[in-house]
Amino acid sequence: MNQQIGITSTIPIEILYAAGRIPVDLNNNFMTDKDPYSLVDSAEMDGFPRNSCAWIKGLYSVAVRSGISEIIAVTEGDCSQNHSLMEVLRSRGKRVIPFAYPSSKDPNLLKLEMERLMDRLGVGWADVSRAKERIDQIRRKIRYIDEITWRSDLVSGEDNHIFLINTTDMLGDPDRFERKVDIVLNTISNKPHLTDQRRPRIGFIGIPPIVSDMHRFTEGLGARVVFNEVQRQFSMPYETDGLVEQYLMYTYPYDILDRINDIKAEVLRRRIDGIIHYVQSFCHHQIEDILFRRDIDKSILTLEFDRPGPLDERSKIRIEGFIDMLRDRKGLRG
Amino acid sequence: MFIGIDLGSRSVKIVSISSIPSAEEMEITTMKTFDTAVFYRGYIKREGERIMVDYKKIGFSDMDPLRIVATGYGRNAAGINGTDVIPEIKAHTRGAVYQTGFRDFTLLDIGGQDVKVILVRDGRIEDFTMNDKCAASCGRYLENMATVLGVDIEELGRHHTDPVELDSTCAVFGESELIGKMTGGALIERLCAGVNLTILKRIMPMLNKHRSEKVVLAGGGGRIYALQIMLEERLCAKVVTLKYPQYNGAIGCGLYAVS
Repeated sequence: MNQQIGITSTIPIEILYAAGRIPVDLNNNFMTDKDPYSLVDSAEMDGFPRNSCAWIKGLYSVAVRSGISEIIAVTEGDCSQNHSLMEVLRSRGKRVIPFAYPSSKDPNLLKLEMERLMDRLGVGWADVSRAKERIDQIRRKIRYIDEITWRSDLVSGEDNHIFLINTTDMLGDPDRFERKVDIVLNTISNKPHLTDQRRPRIGFIGIPPIVSDMHRFTEGLGARVVFNEVQRQFSMPYETDGLVEQYLMYTYPYDILDRINDIKAEVLRRRIDGIIHYVQSFCHHQIEDILFRRDIDKSILTLEFDRPGPLDERSKIRIEGFIDMLRDRKGLRG
Repeated sequence: MFIGIDLGSRSVKIVSISSIPSAEEMEITTMKTFDTAVFYRGYIKREGERIMVDYKKIGFSDMDPLRIVATGYGRNAAGINGTDVIPEIKAHTRGAVYQTGFRDFTLLDIGGQDVKVILVRDGRIEDFTMNDKCAASCGRYLENMATVLGVDIEELGRHHTDPVELDSTCAVFGESELIGKMTGGALIERLCAGVNLTILKRIMPMLNKHRSEKVVLAGGGGRIYALQIMLEERLCAKVVTLKYPQYNGAIGCGLYAVS
């Protein structure tokens, strides 16, 4: 049996590792593909509408092209286009296991959902708890890297993004991933935690950007990206005893107010000057911009992208203007 | 001689400001505008990997010293030694503060493919919003609609009463909708008003985020008189159109060149 299982979004990978299976986050494979643009084209050739989410199209092409025969699709707590993706993948001969985060945030329902997955993979709570202990060791190290990102200039916003995002499947090999993490930790250990106070501090909110150079471009303008909101949530940033509690504290699948409260707390803690809200074309999350602007007392630049690739000129102009405004403001207000 | 250059998506605007000791005495001596495509075909030269503006061909050959500040989409092509590049919103804000003398206002700039709404407080940028990915309701849309209606932009911009309801602000689909209404017998004046109303509907949510007692209109949209009337009605604010709405960004650049 192929040990790999594809996942369409963050799910309790502890269950997969406990069952001796290897999670493969299809999003990460899409983004690290040598030509992600062609994956979107390929899905459109198969009939996906031009005006549908490019992430969904990328996931589809990655799943179809890979040898992965089994896929866990998040059908509640993520977008409805996942439902349709699941159906299409089934029609292409993939075995699809749905996983639903209960919108009611009911712990019993989430526990049932986890147990359903455990039954399907033939594993019990004792093994899952052991897997959680092992994965938690790595999660703690990632939390430290995230902390160093905003406490000092030692870790770039882009590296922070990459480490956080890789926790969704631990690269399919927790030991190998941990070795990568340790290399960074060794590099930064014993170095003073200095920050250049003049650099505007930016928080990225929203789903991870489909464009490849948003972090690099923003930091290249002299700003610091000190917060990657959803990526951090993917990494399970809270210390918890139980798996149910852990995936209830994960804000992304539930009420938007959970996300807003998390963002507000981190804006304060990380001394964020301005926010860049990334939105995907044809995505329901775009509507949430209304609420972020209402509740978060910081300037917000909203940027929309459709397909993978580098930043376009229009977006660069907007980011330049935004950083410049924040820099002027910082100079004025000390 | 100081030069400000705004390399926009639809046109390139260049101003020169005379070399003088103080800001109060400065004078805008030249204003030139070029269609962007014509400009890139006729006034850009290549030097190795770089493309650069051929200032000599534009007519600035003997003016020295030359300090140039550029903004807009093509800002990085302006490059000759001593050229500075500044963000668009900074250029437009500086230009509008200079042209109006206002310190607190909301600047609405309707350009070829962008709409910018900038909240200015004490002469500085407090916050800003730009249009989303779609360039609907920008200058290009207005140009297309004027062409379909067989009028120029000034004539299009005159009408605001009894507008025909138009659904599409898309620069492409708006065309077919407009033709449909024309064949249905709608008066040109009402269709012009309808086009102006679609612009208003697109920009109102952006303006609502950054309200002021004074709104300053800039960019090609500054030529739409009807917008000024309709905005005054809806915002209950004083709406002012700049003397040189389309040169505002270039003037802002020129002022940075001076300073």
